[in-house]
Formats: sequence, structure tokens, C-alpha cells
Amino acid sequence: MTGVLRAELLKLRTTRTAVWLFAGLLALVCFVVLLHGFNLSPSRADHSGQMRIFGWGELGALFAALLGAVSITGELRNGLVRPTFLATPRRQQVLAAKLLSAMLAGLAFGAAAEVLAIGLGSATLSARGIPIRLEGEDYAQLILGGVVAAALWAPVGLGVGASLRNQVPTLIGLCAWLLFVENLLIGELPAVARYLPGAAAAAIGGATITGEVPTDPPLLPPILGALLLAGYAAVAMIIGIAATERRDVP
Amino acid sequence: MRRSMRADETAARSSGNPVSLDGPARDPAVARTTSAADVVHVASLSKRYGEVVAADDVSFALPAGSVTGLLGPNGAGKTTVLRVLLGLAEPHKGEALILGRRYRDLDRPMHVVGAVLESGDFDPGRNGRDHLRVLAFAADVPQRRVDEALAVVGLARAAKRAVRTYSLGMRQRLTLAAALLGSPQLLVLDEPANGLDAKGVHWLRTFLRGFAADGGTVLVSSHVLAEIAQTVDHVVIVDRGHVVARSSLAELVADGKTLEEVYLALTSEDAA
Repeated sequence: MTGVLRAELLKLRTTRTAVWLFAGLLALVCFVVLLHGFNLSPSRADHSGQMRIFGWGELGALFAALLGAVSITGELRNGLVRPTFLATPRRQQVLAAKLLSAMLAGLAFGAAAEVLAIGLGSATLSARGIPIRLEGEDYAQLILGGVVAAALWAPVGLGVGASLRNQVPTLIGLCAWLLFVENLLIGELPAVARYLPGAAAAAIGGATITGEVPTDPPLLPPILGALLLAGYAAVAMIIGIAATERRDVP
Repeated sequence: MRRSMRADETAARSSGNPVSLDGPARDPAVARTTSAADVVHVASLSKRYGEVVAADDVSFALPAGSVTGLLGPNGAGKTTVLRVLLGLAEPHKGEALILGRRYRDLDRPMHVVGAVLESGDFDPGRNGRDHLRVLAFAADVPQRRVDEALAVVGLARAAKRAVRTYSLGMRQRLTLAAALLGSPQLLVLDEPANGLDAKGVHWLRTFLRGFAADGGTVLVSSHVLAEIAQTVDHVVIVDRGHVVARSSLAELVADGKTLEEVYLALTSEDAA
């Protein structure tokens, strides 16, 4: 098992895919935080308004999901999955190693994105003379939440990728779900939508990726959000592993 | 290369020709052709893809130390048989065993089987050496084998280049290097000469003969007869999913016909 894990970690380090995703994440966080930071009306620069800006580090969860998905759909696309499964025919071992390596990368994505959002957001608001309303525990929740959410969305992406197998629909589906579908639902059906995986990630960090933080009913408590998201990750992985074990390698 | 098969190889060769010309359906001798010396044992293997029957009741066995050509027109089922043998596809019926076990049940399979698939399976952005390092970790092979395998296939100088810059022939050599990482006793190659130039084909032929001379067993699929006739000592000819001939090369061409004449008589003209 250690050999399989080392192989997966080496795969991450020896192409530019992870680096490009990481760079894309940081660029997007910069863009959004600067845009919202400079546009935030001083009358709305209260605690929750500032949490919304600083919470954009939650984008780390989306990019962790994309990385988790690409780790399997990329191999299915270029065919590397064949030598991979020839070397390790117990396919669940390969997916377990991908799970660990994607979660590790997710940790880094979530931490970097959240630290960047907080640093850039603080600098932007300070430059405009807006006093920062966040306390130490807010920062702790944002960073810890961003890290946990990203680490748990990585296996969601991996599980979805292993189930759908086709790279383009997988990536589009993950983006559309997190950025669009859940955003609509949290506005229209908050009582249901707060149990969805994107809202669970938002609950952990205390800020949604997009849109308003719902108040009626509010997001779940962070611990419940983390447990729920872990449940989604487990279900996605179980389906992905079962599909990979059962189907022929293309 | 492992030489542990040598004794078995000698036994197999001295026990007479283990492959027969009979079709599989009327061949009660599958059991006879299957002995402890058989490195590969394919019995009544059938595989469908939807309505298409890719392999139907395919049986053959490979004795240790033999070089067997799996011949047939495009679409005859060669790749399907190899995919099932390598655990990438599940058969609907029958079985394909390597040293008595399914590929997916082998412990550290790359130490037993080296596979060269024709599809060129790399991440184009990774360099050749890193590709092998990844597989060496996964296959539980010492990392020093990476540079050894690169040297064997003549890729040492290109090792640090991204695979996307490789020619088709270089990719084939890299796939072969991956197959050799675990010093296997069996090589399974699907159309390995595709993309190789004349020198490359000659090199491959010499390599395979040497591999077999050292006690290794080779199963090589091809639709290019000229390259096969000079490399193999046994042939299995498939057509439209069926085995139509199974024999030593010498026996197949015994009555003065060429391999090409026999092959054309046995296989259909239409592409499947």
C-alpha cells in the first residue's frame, strides 16, 4: 500500500496539473476578493459582510474537488489507468491511494486559499479605511473550515470522477453544482439546500462560496457540516470504488 | 530475467508439441495441453461487448520458454483476449490464468508479467523516467530498475524529456521498459512493432528471442505476418473471435505452404 501511495504522490508532483490548478485557485481568489473588497459598501461592511469576503477561500474546496476528479479521469483520458491497474490490479488500493493524495493536496489548497483571502481581504479593507470586524475565532473558523472543506471535497470529486469516468462532464458538473446549482437552491429552498454538500462545506467555514449566508434556517453548525460532508465524501468514494471494481478498464 | 522457469521449459519441450491444430470446440485436449509447465492457460474464454462477440470459446496454452504469436485480422479478438488475460476486462465465460491464477489475484503481478499494450498509455506531460518511477513504486520494484530498464530499451538519453516529445517508436520502447521493470518471466505484447522502424523491429525481434532463450515466455499479437514469422515458434490464429489454428510454426507450414498462405486460407476477408 505504501508503494501505491508513493506512486500517487509522485504522480501529483511530476506533472503540472496540480500546479496549474493551484495557480488557478490563487488567481481566482485574488480576483474575487479584490473585486468584492473594493466594491463592498461601507454600510454593509459589518461582521457578516466581511465574513463573505474572507470566506472566498472556500473556493479551495472546488479546486480540491477538481484535482480529486482529474486524478482518475485524467488517467482514463490518456490511458495511464491501464499501466496503473496492471501494476496494482487491486483497484480499490489505487483509489485509496488517490484518496489520500488528493486529500493531502486539498489540505494545501484550502489552507493557501483561505490565508490568501484573509490577507488580501484585510489589506483591501484596511486600504479603504474600513475597520476589520473579525475576531481571532473567526479567522480560526475560516482557515480550519477552508482546510477541512477542501480536504473533504477532494474525495467527493474523486468519487464522482471514478463513477462518471468522462473528464469533461465530471469537471463541468462539479463546477456547475458548486457555483450555480447549490447557489440557486440555497436562495430558493434553504431548508433543504443546507443539507447539500456545498452548503455543508460553507457551514464548516462559516461562509458560503457564493451568495448570501442564509439565516432562516441558517447553515448547519460547523461540526455537523463537517460530519455531513464526510458522509457525502464516503458515499461518493464507495460508489466510485464499486464502479471501478466492477467495470472493465476502457 | 528470471530463470526459474528453465526446468519447466525443458520439460514442456521434451513432452512434445503442446499445441494442436484442432479447433477448440472439438478439442478434448485442452486439459492435456494444460500442465504445470503452462505459463498461460486460456480456457473457453468468451467476451461480448453488447451484441458484438469479441472472443468466443478461445482456448490455448503457452509452455514456458515459448514465443507464441497471436495472429488475426484487425478486430479478430486479439486485444480482447489479451485484455482479459491482463485483468483489465472480465470474461463472460471461461478463464485466463497466468501460472494458475487470474491476473488480478497475482501478488505483485509486474514481477511475473510484463505487458505492452498498443494504446500508448502515458501522461504526455510526465517525463519518461518519472513515468517509470511511478510504476516502480506501484509495482514494488526497486527504483534502481528504472535506469536499468531505460538503458535496456535505449532511452537513457531521452529519459528526462516529456513523453509528448517522444516519437511513436520511443513510446513503444518506454512501454517495453515499463514491462521489464519487474524482471518478469512472461511478456505479453499487443502489436509491439507498431511505429517501430526497420531497425526497431529488428531490435525487438532480437530482444524477444533473447528473452525466450533465457527461459522467458512471450505472447505477442500481430497482424503483420512478416515480422511474426521470424520471431515466433508457436502460433494461435484467431478470426472473428474464434481460434482457427493452434500449432507450432514448423507444423503449420510443414506441407510447404508459407505462413501467409495458411493464414489467408484460415481467416476471413472482411474486417470484423
